[in-house]
Amino acid sequence: MKDKKSTNMKTIDYSFRERLNKVLGGFGHNYCYQCGACVADCPTHRHLDEFNPRTIILKALFGFEDELIGSDSIIWNCTNCYNCHERCPQEVSPIEVIIALKNLSIEKETNPPVVLNIVDRVKKTGSTVSLTELAQKRRAELDLPSYKMDCIDELEKLFKLREML
Amino acid sequence: MKVIPFWGCMIALKYPQMEKAVRYSMDKLGVELVDEPRFSCCPDPIYFKAADKLTWLTLAARNIALAEEHELDIITMCSGCTSTLCEANYHLKKDPELREKVNKSLKAIGREFRGTINVRHVVTLLRDDIGMEKLKHSIERPLKDVKVAIHYGCHLLKPSEIMRVDDPVIPKILQEIIEITGATPINHKEYLLCCGKACQDHELMLNMSADVFESIHASKADCLGLICPTCFDSFDLGQIRVARKVNKEYNLPVIYYFQMLALAQGASLEEVGIKYHKILPREFVMKLQRSGELAAV
Repeated sequence: MKDKKSTNMKTIDYSFRERLNKVLGGFGHNYCYQCGACVADCPTHRHLDEFNPRTIILKALFGFEDELIGSDSIIWNCTNCYNCHERCPQEVSPIEVIIALKNLSIEKETNPPVVLNIVDRVKKTGSTVSLTELAQKRRAELDLPSYKMDCIDELEKLFKLREML
Repeated sequence: MKVIPFWGCMIALKYPQMEKAVRYSMDKLGVELVDEPRFSCCPDPIYFKAADKLTWLTLAARNIALAEEHELDIITMCSGCTSTLCEANYHLKKDPELREKVNKSLKAIGREFRGTINVRHVVTLLRDDIGMEKLKHSIERPLKDVKVAIHYGCHLLKPSEIMRVDDPVIPKILQEIIEITGATPINHKEYLLCCGKACQDHELMLNMSADVFESIHASKADCLGLICPTCFDSFDLGQIRVARKVNKEYNLPVIYYFQMLALAQGASLEEVGIKYHKILPREFVMKLQRSGELAAV
């Protein structure tokens, strides 16, 4: 079901829970009692009022899919600091819920492109940072062993297996 | 003592001076590093985990399985690698179902995650295995008169039940190991703040970093000391962007902890690659040199 944007009415969609529970591997976020302990210590919230881990959890429970995993969703501004995870008295771990939401966003192809660029780079080279001439030069200047990453064959097999799942 | 270093791609390919400094220090401390050339990216705990959690876990498990073959613990130097490998090791040891799922894939490449080793950030090796006494004895030229603003970064400490490094609210470990070098650690107001690197919105990241710079500026420290190459990225190269945004020059040099330690253990500025840093005011370099020379007399 879609939000009824014209009247500003939102429709609760509990079926979203099934999808989220599946990627999250549980339903622990149901225990969120909206205390807001996660909000006070969120560094993103400090600078961006709309980013609020408490309301993200509430929206996830209500199934406001478009807001959470539509394109340009606010979830991609989570800084992954784990403060919310540390503060939560209910072991909800808002950050892990946000990561699960990101996983769902990838399925919907609404993610920022940079995310898959990194996966692609690992697939092709085994590493996230590219090996540049400058890096090689500096490694030589510092008298470091030449850089080796002998993993591409094995990674290729693992990525192929994953595609078949 | 033998351990397997997991350098990760950021340190090895962007900031090799950090690798050099760790190798220098470990050599001084009698720790043998057994390099494993078949490691891949950890893979990255932000984007890769967001893209596909199972593959993220499988590649991490492969890296851990390689170290298991040596029957040696992994030490990590990058907080991102620490985050991925510690988390994977923790969950795969604890959850037999998950382990079976991952091992099913690893079987195709003839490997298996067995859960027989630990993954640890290198600073815990200093504190818990080498010990503060031995560390102190390795210091040849204490970095006297150098005031270091501490920056922890996020993933050394959190999630705390997985990392088990220190109390995430009042950590002491960096303060302790900085003191050993002879420098003066400063716990400024925002010493636990995130650098903001993972935020999509670039402005947000700059704002978070600016909070850290303001806090350090007020503390009158000579430099910022940290243990994470991603934070280094935000604060060294990133400092130029922050300065432009807030229209203020901080001129705050950023030093990776092991560069500091290696210098105190007798390494030259050249050896720890200090010249590759973007922000390195002359006075600071002179202070480092002076402090080393005076102490040697």
